[in-house]
Amino acid sequence: MTELILQALYSGLLQGGSYALIALGLALVFGAMKVINLAHGELVLLSAYIAYSVESGLGWNPVFAIPVSLVVVCLASVMVYLVVGRIKKDREINSLILTYGIGVILTNAILLIWKADVRSTGSSWLQEAFVVGPLYSMRGEVLFFVVSLAMIVGLWWWLSRSWYGRAVRAVSSNRNAAMLMGINPGYTELVSFVVAGILAAVAGVALFSYGVISPAYGNVLTVKAFIITVLAGIGSIPGVLIGAVLLGVAEALTVTLASSALQELAGMGLFLVVLFVMPNGLFGANGRRG
Amino acid sequence: MKNTYKRAAMAALVAWSLGLSAAHADELTVGVQLPMTGTLARVGSGMQEGIIVAAEVFNKANGKHKIKLISVDDESAPAKAIAAVEKLASQGALAITGGYGSNNIAPASDAAGKLGLVYVTSGGVDDSLVNSGHKNFFRINNTAGYQKAMVGLLADMNIKSVSVIYSTKEATTGLAKDLEKALSAKGVKVVGHAFDPALTDFKPIINKIKLRDKSEAIAMVGYENDYVGILRAARVLKPAVKAMVGVWSLATPKMAADFPDLMPNVYGTAVLPFPAEFKTADGKSFNEAYRRLYKKEPDYLGQFGYVQSMLLFEALARAADKGTLKKDGVAEEMRKTDRETLIGHVRFGSNGDNPNFTHRMGQHQAGKVVIVWPKDAATGTIKFPGVPW
Repeated sequence: MTELILQALYSGLLQGGSYALIALGLALVFGAMKVINLAHGELVLLSAYIAYSVESGLGWNPVFAIPVSLVVVCLASVMVYLVVGRIKKDREINSLILTYGIGVILTNAILLIWKADVRSTGSSWLQEAFVVGPLYSMRGEVLFFVVSLAMIVGLWWWLSRSWYGRAVRAVSSNRNAAMLMGINPGYTELVSFVVAGILAAVAGVALFSYGVISPAYGNVLTVKAFIITVLAGIGSIPGVLIGAVLLGVAEALTVTLASSALQELAGMGLFLVVLFVMPNGLFGANGRRG
Repeated sequence: MKNTYKRAAMAALVAWSLGLSAAHADELTVGVQLPMTGTLARVGSGMQEGIIVAAEVFNKANGKHKIKLISVDDESAPAKAIAAVEKLASQGALAITGGYGSNNIAPASDAAGKLGLVYVTSGGVDDSLVNSGHKNFFRINNTAGYQKAMVGLLADMNIKSVSVIYSTKEATTGLAKDLEKALSAKGVKVVGHAFDPALTDFKPIINKIKLRDKSEAIAMVGYENDYVGILRAARVLKPAVKAMVGVWSLATPKMAADFPDLMPNVYGTAVLPFPAEFKTADGKSFNEAYRRLYKKEPDYLGQFGYVQSMLLFEALARAADKGTLKKDGVAEEMRKTDRETLIGHVRFGSNGDNPNFTHRMGQHQAGKVVIVWPKDAATGTIKFPGVPW
């Protein structure tokens, strides 16, 4: 039993790292602009399909698709911003509807370009077992768990130490006050969308490297990312990692100790319990003040 | 003068339209309702290929009747499936072929039944589809055929314990439960592991099988993405099993080509070996048209789509010849179907099901799919014990 639980905790930890990487971009835009980008999952998926094209077309390891994915997904993210940025009234609700529509367009574009077949990496190196004592995983999972941690630290540093990061936080706190301080809110929001695009590009390549993708999968990714963002508390980057790992571990333990059919239910149960006890999420603004 | 021109123009228009309808009098319009987007887009487009090939082959061979296909995407959603059938009926469809997923087929076939249209499918194996009393519903495959093949292979392997991993979707749960029952009846120890369709990391399940179940074989009842996840987790954890056996969408050329590291020695239900060998005239026509239209190896979805549609087209033609198209003639002609097809002998029972449906089991061997069960249909030697790692 100990071995089973240890493996579940390890699998949950790695899965949590993967969830965190997917959720980061959505959390950033949500925190900075109060925009719930429901097309975020599709941007991640777009990157995953670019990784597929690079692997199947050029025979390269999907990791080398990151530069191409960065360019394409950042451009797509900027386009999403250009549409969302035009909303002047009731931004939260209107952006929800608008980005949902963009998500549908992206899903169908992916379907047209790459067809409906399921795809995953053929790289033997990424699929090989990585064994530490009684703990088993794929190399790809460990590699991108480390990448996920690095991205979280990088994003946290950028938001707290860099000028643009501070500007994003300032606009997020009080848009008018930030303008009085000489910050261009439009430009700052554009920067946050570009950074979200970078995160989505890396998350997509990671997803293709250890998971299975299909055109309809973007929606699932968005929902998972949204749950983690709310669980973490709006604007908390370390909270995203902790929320994602909690979700991953809760799901893996449910599969091990109960039934895998209850996995999604366990995740949603955790989400509801946390929101019931801490309505601002684990590390939400009120919680931090307290 | 102006009125004369108008009258002449009107007369010409009427004459032209009458001529047009006369020229197209032998055109039989068939509605295709399939998921071309959404979660079932992959299987929907696979079946559509077979349907288009069937129309191509039928039209080439028949001078008297021409099939005209009109398609509507049901977006993998039950409500859209009903709307699709209603739209097809309003566009003049005489019958419906297609449908994927029992939860989509049930309401769609119900709508077709109310409109008096025959509905034929191979995309739903839930038994409630044929037990709901619809007189116009027909399907060419069922759970029993898949279950017989899996149980037969495992029995021939003399497997004593099996862990069944199955998706909680309706069709997969139904098949897994039937499989568990049939294996238990043969004295095989069975442990079931249901998983949510959203599950992506199968390591905790495989670890349970490795450390707790210690079964001799793993039976997988899911879809392509599930198989890839399960096989990947199994390759990492290497449970001490003798066989990895799956059901539909597994022993296919696509899986062999896309996942060459994961597939070696894996078993799955299969109609034909790969590379495909077509011995009948019907099979050769299908093969030639499929390759010409799609420039690839025919797969099982195409074969099933082809068979269901060809049987429908033949029934439509017979009903048209007898002048009973509008008088339940199509359903009547479908019930008279009794012939060999690419998927075996098809004959419809009173409930519209095909009691003759049986499947074969294939095994991935060196990038090919070899039929290994039943013995009389085998195209190669079984590799047992055999796992991908």
